[in-house]
Amino acid sequence: MRKVAIYGKGGIGKSTTTQNTVAGLAEMGRKVMVVGCDPKADSTRLLLGGLAQRSVLDTLRIEGEDVELEDVLAKGFSDTNCVESGGPEPGVGCAGRGIITSINLLERLGAYEEELDYVFYDVLGDVVCGGFAMPIREGKAEEIYIVASGEMMAMYAASNICKGIKKFATNGTVRLGGIICNSRKVDNEYELLDAFAKQLGTQMIHFVPRDNDVQRAEIHKKTVIEWDPTCNQADEYRTLAKAIEDNDMFVIPKPMETEALESLLLEHGMLDVA
Amino acid sequence: MTEVLAARARQVIRSGDGKAGIDCEKQSVAGSVSQRACTFCGSRVVLYPIADAVHLVHGPIGCAVYTWDIRGALSSGPELHRLSFSTDLRERHVVFGGERQLEDSLNELIERHHPAAAFVYATCIVGVIGDDVSAICRVVSAKYGIPVIPVQSEGFAGSKKQGYDAACEALMTLIGTGDTAGVGKHTVNLLGDFNLAGEIWIITEYLRRMGVEVVANLTGDGRVADIQRAHGAALNLVQCSGSTTKLAMQMQAKYGIPFKKVSYFGIDDMAGALYAVAEHFKDPEMLERTRALVAEEITEILPVVEECRRDLEGKRAAIYVGGAFKAISLVKALRLLGMTTVLAGSQTGTPEDYEYLTDLCDAGTVIVDDSNPAELSAFLSEGKADLFIGGVKERPLAYKLGVAFCDHNHERKLPLEGFIGMANFAREVRASVCSPVWQFAPRHQPAIKEV
Repeated sequence: MRKVAIYGKGGIGKSTTTQNTVAGLAEMGRKVMVVGCDPKADSTRLLLGGLAQRSVLDTLRIEGEDVELEDVLAKGFSDTNCVESGGPEPGVGCAGRGIITSINLLERLGAYEEELDYVFYDVLGDVVCGGFAMPIREGKAEEIYIVASGEMMAMYAASNICKGIKKFATNGTVRLGGIICNSRKVDNEYELLDAFAKQLGTQMIHFVPRDNDVQRAEIHKKTVIEWDPTCNQADEYRTLAKAIEDNDMFVIPKPMETEALESLLLEHGMLDVA
Repeated sequence: MTEVLAARARQVIRSGDGKAGIDCEKQSVAGSVSQRACTFCGSRVVLYPIADAVHLVHGPIGCAVYTWDIRGALSSGPELHRLSFSTDLRERHVVFGGERQLEDSLNELIERHHPAAAFVYATCIVGVIGDDVSAICRVVSAKYGIPVIPVQSEGFAGSKKQGYDAACEALMTLIGTGDTAGVGKHTVNLLGDFNLAGEIWIITEYLRRMGVEVVANLTGDGRVADIQRAHGAALNLVQCSGSTTKLAMQMQAKYGIPFKKVSYFGIDDMAGALYAVAEHFKDPEMLERTRALVAEEITEILPVVEECRRDLEGKRAAIYVGGAFKAISLVKALRLLGMTTVLAGSQTGTPEDYEYLTDLCDAGTVIVDDSNPAELSAFLSEGKADLFIGGVKERPLAYKLGVAFCDHNHERKLPLEGFIGMANFAREVRASVCSPVWQFAPRHQPAIKEV
């Protein structure tokens, strides 16, 4: 079983990219489980066609200790297993601890014992505290993909996430598998992200172009492959799924300092020099 | 010579060696196994004796359990303080926030017990997950019309001393909210006495005989309504210097109430405290009454002291207590019993306290700040102590070394304050030091003899 975690700046398109890629893997016949690690519990909406299952933590809160795997696991597109950790309302409690609690419970319930080819953890935003690093601790996820774009802050966040990966990679098994570019149509974006990935010591595993079909599929609560298997964007996600399937480049990343990042942007003509 | 961690080297000095003053008022050294408690515990011990309030510990159950009835403080009326209430935070509260649990707990407790006020203690986990304790307290206070006071005592915020400060801040929100009508001019508040064994009743009776009325006890046998009008008193008497000097200073700044640091332990300091009050009020008749009182009380107990002294002359004592001010009184009281002090230490002493203590003690006496079991055991043996005076955490150290012990902290059931307290102290020290039990546990011998 390959254990994958997807990280990246908030709003970059992690959940969308994850689900569309998972749809591609499922179409290839792979057995996949997606574990949403975001208190908003919106990591499996496209695979489930909008039918939200009850989150692990909500179930724990309501049922107490008597939680069964069926209570929290729902079947999505092409027989994918979908789980949402869930978490507190904004501004209260500790979402990080929620992820730890949730993953521990899933392990106890045997969610990982089924014959799975892949587990995908879709983790919110930045690695702000120990809880959000849970999926990359203790060998839970072993390969990380960071979703980024050519925007400075997305790259800055990606580099910051690499610091977290490096910390856990040094005394664990987790490795960086690559950068997924979710294009924002910035100038020179391909070259920039390609250079950025190389500087981090990794690769740009795929450049996903911006396409309104993604938005259209989302409105219909579907992954692109389910909504229109023949469109261009469906092929892009199939390519990404295949690239992950075939990937054999797993590294301990070399995070970039802000200055190095800025000069990279300058080199590719992105930063206005006043 | 006793081994001390390098980082603590300047927290140990010896009287009369002419070196610079002791290092104190700093965070405990990691790994030293300090005898100090946490910030939360510091707040809890100060506020706990307020008998008609609900004391709710907002945190996991252990925080409440380990501080349950920690002082055993006596009350002349309600005993609500002796119950231990906890919000019993569990994993799901940590994840989803504990505010709802706190509000429900407060509602339930206030409806069941009708307290005069409620104190809510914030523990470590509450500080980490960021529950808005103050906001909940405001809501519940408005609902029931009683003070509901947040105590910001997250355990990791510092040492026990930061807990004292948090408790003083909580008390300051209560003081000044009551009506001071009818508070006379010869009035005092008693700060830093916790009425473990009825001490406050002894002191109050002395003061009554002098013509001085007590407005509020802070906090032994304390009542919310008294504390609310404490700002009407003419003078503050501060006994446990470590915990409530800050409160006295704040009351002086805000309400102009002067304060005196006093001690009620031993004949000298007890008499000194009463004279200080009489002198403060500048009333010749009161001074006369005080003289008569002191003479009468001393005459009564002196034979007991004399008798015990015969058995204790030349014995050696070690002291490790919470505040250094108390240690000073103990050194004097031990002298009266013919005993010398080989070790005097405290958890939270100030530079001024330690300076006085160093001058007071005989040359060679070890003065120590924020010590630990390894050091204390070694100091006891090095000084060949016959008696150890301390609290619950020091007791097993003494017994393991075959050293007599006198509890001078939370677990007392017999008062040591006042003149009568000196007689109790003399009897108790003699009973322990001269107990026949020590023939079975020879002093300062290894626990297991090599065969």
